[in-house]
Amino acid sequence: MPETTQFGNNNDDVRSEGSLKANTILVNRYKILGMIGGGGQGAVYQARDLNFADIKRLVAIKEMLYPEASLRAQTFKTFQREANILATLSHPAIPKIFDFFDQHNRAYLVMEYINGSDLEALLGKTKELPADKILEWAIDLCDVLQYLHTQPEPIIFRDMKPANIMVDSFGKVRLIDFGIAKVFTSGKHTMIGTEGYSAPEQYKGDANPLSDIYSLGATLHHILTRKDPRLEPPFSFHERPIKDSNSKVPPGLAEVVEKALQMKPADRFASAAEMKAALDALRYRPLAAGATTNGMKAPVGTEALNTGDLFGDKIEPRWKFKTEDEIRCSPMAFRDMAYIGSYDTNVWAVRLNSGEFVWKYPTNGGIASSPVIADISESTRLVLFGSEDHSFHAVDYRTGRINWSYMTKDRVRGTPRVAHDHVFFGSDDGRVYALVAGNGRYLWEYDMGAPVRSRPFVTNEYVIVGSESGEIVALELSGARKWGHRTRRSVTSSPMVDEVENICYVGSFDGHMYALDANNGYSMWRFRTNGPVISSAALEDDLLYFGSADGNLYCVNAETAKEKWRFGTEKPIVASPVVYNGQVYFGGTDGNLYCIDAKNGKELWKFPTGSGITSTPYVVGDTLLIGSMDKTLYALPLVG
Amino acid sequence: MDLFRRIFGRPGEEDPEKAASKTLEVESIKETESADGLDAKTRPVPPLPLTPDPSPGFIPDGTTRPLSPEKLISRQNDHMAFGQSTDVGMVRPNNQDAVLSMFFTSRSSDERGDFGLFVVADGMGGHQHGEKASAIATRILAAHAMSSIYMPILSGSDSLDRAPITEALSTAVQKANLEVIRHVEEGGTTVTAAAVIGDLAYFAHVGDSRAYLITRDGMEQITRDHSLVQRLIELDQLTKEESTEHPQRNVLYRALGQNESLEVDTLTRRLPPNSRLLLCTDGLWNYVEEREIYEIAMNNPNPQEACDKLVALANTKGGMDNVTAVLLRISSS
Repeated sequence: MPETTQFGNNNDDVRSEGSLKANTILVNRYKILGMIGGGGQGAVYQARDLNFADIKRLVAIKEMLYPEASLRAQTFKTFQREANILATLSHPAIPKIFDFFDQHNRAYLVMEYINGSDLEALLGKTKELPADKILEWAIDLCDVLQYLHTQPEPIIFRDMKPANIMVDSFGKVRLIDFGIAKVFTSGKHTMIGTEGYSAPEQYKGDANPLSDIYSLGATLHHILTRKDPRLEPPFSFHERPIKDSNSKVPPGLAEVVEKALQMKPADRFASAAEMKAALDALRYRPLAAGATTNGMKAPVGTEALNTGDLFGDKIEPRWKFKTEDEIRCSPMAFRDMAYIGSYDTNVWAVRLNSGEFVWKYPTNGGIASSPVIADISESTRLVLFGSEDHSFHAVDYRTGRINWSYMTKDRVRGTPRVAHDHVFFGSDDGRVYALVAGNGRYLWEYDMGAPVRSRPFVTNEYVIVGSESGEIVALELSGARKWGHRTRRSVTSSPMVDEVENICYVGSFDGHMYALDANNGYSMWRFRTNGPVISSAALEDDLLYFGSADGNLYCVNAETAKEKWRFGTEKPIVASPVVYNGQVYFGGTDGNLYCIDAKNGKELWKFPTGSGITSTPYVVGDTLLIGSMDKTLYALPLVG
Repeated sequence: MDLFRRIFGRPGEEDPEKAASKTLEVESIKETESADGLDAKTRPVPPLPLTPDPSPGFIPDGTTRPLSPEKLISRQNDHMAFGQSTDVGMVRPNNQDAVLSMFFTSRSSDERGDFGLFVVADGMGGHQHGEKASAIATRILAAHAMSSIYMPILSGSDSLDRAPITEALSTAVQKANLEVIRHVEEGGTTVTAAAVIGDLAYFAHVGDSRAYLITRDGMEQITRDHSLVQRLIELDQLTKEESTEHPQRNVLYRALGQNESLEVDTLTRRLPPNSRLLLCTDGLWNYVEEREIYEIAMNNPNPQEACDKLVALANTKGGMDNVTAVLLRISSS
């Protein structure tokens, strides 16, 4: 393979202006009309060929500077050889080479003049380019690459990018700048900006036909997404799927481009011809998104969905327990029992292994608060929960007999927290209560000024809780206010504190997940979703998992607030996820209980229930408990 | 018991254990004083000697004498101490690095945490463009961070519109970016900034100047270089060893002064007791080994001395580049 000549131009006298003034005549034949391009890498002029005196024959002349005088003869020889090779090429997308010469210590290449605009300029001038036009160009570019790669001495183009592709007056693409004047820059000083289009292996000095395919992929990615790869982290194409920036791109086309952009050359198309064939297959089909099913491979997400369905079909609940109204709260298990509250006003206790009914405790209002256990002593083990009858109830875990109850001034919808032998819960009367868990003795209350439906989080120092006014407060265990933080809308999501780092994570109806310094309430970061965040976060290995009413479950790096992945469902997610054994479990208001791979957000399986899920799953042993608005509590076996 | 008391104790009631430890502190100070023989009540203060005695061992009773730098620092500030040092190096004609440090500390019933802001920037571009870019970047970043982060803490304003601290820091970098674009046509700069509030550090970062967290367990680079070679390493296309020789090892893909839209990396870290936080430009990390940085940072109780030593070491290794280091020492309590 011939190396294309590299004329270094690290001379100190490099100017962005060309050296030739208009009306200069080169070798008694070419009259310079003006500069049409180039700059640092060598100027390009438009010139008139005076040999054709009667017609106006235009040519393009590229000017290149010699690196240093001593190397002039040798460099000219290489240049000559290169020009000879280029002159033999004949392809509609390659401009014709007419002549070359050197004069005044500079080398000149005379080429066909192309009346048009390069793709980079075109990107700047347009808002959108039609997908079928881009497809046509992609096919032509594959064709010319295949032509170059299959020359007797294969030619590697090396520098495929929008700036090197002209679109002529007929709308056809033409490849310009055959790397003949590629600048070699040394790495002595820090420089900003990368080529953006080059394949990773090119940075190890290995340019081959497959690296040209990568660069073509990068070029197409730029044109389709309108995201300049020179302004993005190098090789980040796979982190920036085309569909995310441009939903109009047909999945088939996006798939071809993404294959060309694989990091490993072996994972790309084996040749430009193969890539062209893949593009040709898209050509005569309707190009609208979603209309690509004919013979096209289904996109990856759908595949995963299919296997998910397969798994989901296999999942048979160990047992189901039907209550008399919607289940909105979350189940809980203790020893051999499972507990669930229902809007039918009862808290139900069933056998964990069989789902067999043990007892029910009726209240005078619906149960939206999830039951929790207070394991105080051998003789005092209580199930605690609030009811819309304004009361907070404590019943014996075995018999369901009442031990104590406490009346607030409004409905108790918040889930309680038991810590330090006390129970902390919020009420719609706007107060957070602290009672002795064993006997219900009143300790203190704190007035939040708005209903409290969020579950308090209790650390060794603070009680942190949110209210419907949007405020998050931290109270000392004595009930004195330590700090407060305001969000724009209600905080129904329950705060979750990483007690090692002392950071509090909490969602708000304003669409954000917040990270607060638990010591002082200062807001560290917020992560924006497109819907209220009612779901509470689960934290595992520095990753935060939570749902949003925008229908996505998010996985976000807790340190950088950067999204790692998101999993989309059709309906809002208001329930909180749990992470167990590398898997994320959560219910959606679309009625499905999902099992997602915590690493990559791919669906492993899902289990459909008869109605929406607002309940948080409870994992005990190899059983997962989940309640659904279809009135049923399910016990699912954990597979894998 | 402690928790029980905290629940039942009235807010603001003195924790008896804390009170006890305070008494102990006072006693221990008294002890030291009497050991030094400074009990003024029982002994008359002797007159000052007419000429200071040059021998370092002899200190006459009753005279004031300078404390060691270590003692000075620990008395001024029981939480954090910092040093900063920058040098043009041995080869370059001008210093394109810029550095800015500030530290606010207060003790009052308000319990506002200590606040520190530390910024290093490494400018690029000929004809003074680089040094202008880094100077503007540090200055504008600091101005914005002060008004959007520290001023609200001082004034105690609880505005709904206040952005989270990492966002404010990121915005400060964005503003600095716009100013660099406006005033420096052909220059750019890296920027690595740390705002420390209490023991929580917030970072904003663009380019290849670095932040390291150094503890007894080792040295951790907590920023990620926005360089071509770092990307290649992350993608398993290049080894760390190969990267040091790569012809394009100095190519950044992100810097201030290039584009109006700039992505800024932010992250937060709790600073453990007795740790060190180091911000530095590539003039340090490119030429001084991590092992050496660790030794100097951990073994010099005075962070200013440590910074001076780090910069001097880079210079003894040829001083090929401008070099800048800011070191914060977090106290052991």
